[in-house]
Amino acid sequence: MISWLRRDLWRHIVALGMMAFSLFPLYLVVISSLNPSGSLQLTSFVPREISFRNYKILFSDPTIPYLAWMKNSLIIATAIAILSVIIGASSAFAFSRLRFKGKKQGIQLLLLVQMFPAILAISAVYAIMERVTHFAPAIGLQTKPGLILIYLGGAMGVNIWLLKGFVDSIPIELDEAAKVDGASPMQTYWLIFIPLATPVLAVVALLSFIGTFNEFILARLFLIEMDTRTVAVGLQQFIGGQYSQNWGPFAAGSIIASVPIVAIFLSLQKYIVNGLTAGSVKG
Amino acid sequence: MTEFFRGKVAFTAKVIFLAFTSAILLMLAQSAFARGEYFIAAFLLLAVIALNIVYLTKISLPLKFFLPGLLFLLAFVIGPILYTFVMSTYKYQTGNMYSKEFAIERITQLGVEPDASETTFDLIKGKLDSGEYAILASDIVTKRYFISTKSKKIELSPLDVKLNSDQVAVSTAGFTELATEEKPIADKALSSQRFFYSGEYFLTLEGGIGAVKRQVLEYKAGKDAFLQLVTGDVYIDNGRGNYVNAKNKDLFLEPGWRAPIWFENYSKLFLDDKVRGALLKVFLWTVIFAGSTVLTTFAFGLLLALALNRPIFGRRVYRSILILPYAMPSIMSILIWGGMFDTEFGAINNLLGTQIAWFQDPNFARAAVILVNLWLGFPYFYLVSSGALQAIPVELMEAAAIDGANPRQIFRKITLPLLLKILFPLLIASFAFNFNNFNLIYLLTGGGPKDTLSGEIAGATDILISYTYKIAFGSSTQDLALASAISVIIFVIIAAISLYGIKRSKVLESFV
Repeated sequence: MISWLRRDLWRHIVALGMMAFSLFPLYLVVISSLNPSGSLQLTSFVPREISFRNYKILFSDPTIPYLAWMKNSLIIATAIAILSVIIGASSAFAFSRLRFKGKKQGIQLLLLVQMFPAILAISAVYAIMERVTHFAPAIGLQTKPGLILIYLGGAMGVNIWLLKGFVDSIPIELDEAAKVDGASPMQTYWLIFIPLATPVLAVVALLSFIGTFNEFILARLFLIEMDTRTVAVGLQQFIGGQYSQNWGPFAAGSIIASVPIVAIFLSLQKYIVNGLTAGSVKG
Repeated sequence: MTEFFRGKVAFTAKVIFLAFTSAILLMLAQSAFARGEYFIAAFLLLAVIALNIVYLTKISLPLKFFLPGLLFLLAFVIGPILYTFVMSTYKYQTGNMYSKEFAIERITQLGVEPDASETTFDLIKGKLDSGEYAILASDIVTKRYFISTKSKKIELSPLDVKLNSDQVAVSTAGFTELATEEKPIADKALSSQRFFYSGEYFLTLEGGIGAVKRQVLEYKAGKDAFLQLVTGDVYIDNGRGNYVNAKNKDLFLEPGWRAPIWFENYSKLFLDDKVRGALLKVFLWTVIFAGSTVLTTFAFGLLLALALNRPIFGRRVYRSILILPYAMPSIMSILIWGGMFDTEFGAINNLLGTQIAWFQDPNFARAAVILVNLWLGFPYFYLVSSGALQAIPVELMEAAAIDGANPRQIFRKITLPLLLKILFPLLIASFAFNFNNFNLIYLLTGGGPKDTLSGEIAGATDILISYTYKIAFGSSTQDLALASAISVIIFVIIAAISLYGIKRSKVLESFV
């Protein structure tokens, strides 16, 4: 017993302490969302009364188009998840499996490009899109397609790089066997590689879904109208520094928005942890 | 299946898709060209050519795979990076936002003055029978009515017009008032149109009434200068995006345009005391912030990894709860923490029994930022440290234990150095990431609190990237060029840090 105490007690203390730290804000936001008064001020840390009033406000108050925000976020994030994998996978395949002149330089350039956070070029992106708005308003500023293009392009470097890392880990023997049997690279790609890589592609798609869902600043700059906002921008503008006023509905809204992301994340835990060592995956 | 990829169906599908894509891109290229966006038009045109060559010939197989990705990279990553650099060599800020042609047009439009008595007329917007835009003007005091178009004026007798209760003429023969649905389009055209009045004077529409004006600034294309027709002053291009008075260079015409000023934005960063001081302060805090975040998140992550490195009771539960902060969408977490730090009602003051105005005091704000980032970041280092601990061979520690080393010595002399070696690239990457952790700063403190004395844009918790954003979009003077110059410098710093990290990890790979 004594030896157990000496060996493991500190471990439990550390774990419990950090667990309390982790849970504190989450616990707080959950009980705030269930607090009927909807105020930031909590009279006690133990809820006395539970109500779903804040959730109801979220879905019934016309000044908070929460459903529209969620829909926008889901549309944009889904579009990015699918398109970025479709476009990224073939590039990753080329960089991982094919031989061509300038491949090494290409990979080095890709490495360099994917390091630049998209946000650094934000004034340039904005200026370019402002020009685009003049001749093609449908894909310019303040449009979903415009924002999707920016996300898709901006994340292309990171995506190809990430996909290349995953693709490299798929055994090459099957490709080679197909080649020996006379398959063209196109056939190898569609008939061998894609079926093999589907789980990996799904993981990358979900990761870019999370990343897009979590993006704030471009969405803030691009989607200004109330109904076109993403959930991140919508909630941020809703709370807008005025924490005391809108806290209850905000807490409810942030919980609903977080649950799917947390669920995806936890189910992909294994892949994400593997991906972590290969390079940062999530902001 | 094989036939499908070689057969006619696949080929037809490919051609249709290619034709469709080409058509859209060509349409965009054409409208870009029509608006004078030659770079964009050229890029789109080249993209169409490249797509058709690559997919219709057998010129290069790899290109078939990565051309779409490459085009996206060029358009939205490499293009903006290069454009950032180009912008940083221009004067590009509020007042100098547009092209020179546009500026000349605007100056001409604005370079008018009213007549001596500042005559105005009530008016109705409409069309003549010929379809030409016209206005029906009324002076209700003198009972004067006329129709005016771009080139002519027709005086009307009070008997010819129908008046409303305000004595304003609303209709007359040969003149049709604009229908409601025509107005949005017509208003755009009419806002800049000039209607004939008399001699050099003309009528312009100003908020629903017509004002008598004459041109006083005239553009002389041959000399590239504006002539003030009344005073005779000459305004010349100062080479920095403005027309300035030849006699007094401080007097300039609004608006200006984007003009190349080469490396002036960069020299401003290093030489202009006002800019340099703020920038230096922000840079220092950025390094401190990123550094202390890496230190704290790594320290706590490692401590946890060590604590949970044995299969103790409840480890799985601990683990899944401990990574929750990392699984949460960080934007939501940051906003939630923002509420918790509220002075009056926030949970933190409530818990501590204090009344600290967290975001009003520079040091408290900085502490809050680091604390929140610790919460967001420690699970990452817990996960990677756990992985790394598994990778360290147990034999090393056992050997040390046999040699009589105590656990603390083993940790300090063996585990930690090996761990640091393995995790070094990730520590560097984390530093680089936090160096640009815009969301945290922007959403939690907004960069504040501001130094009330200096009144500069930069706040106490502003990091370079949030400061850059404020320069570009946040304040009343939007200076996209200066922001771009800082961005370029951040590019260089981040690239250097990341390349260093990658080089170290490569060395490590070949070493292990």
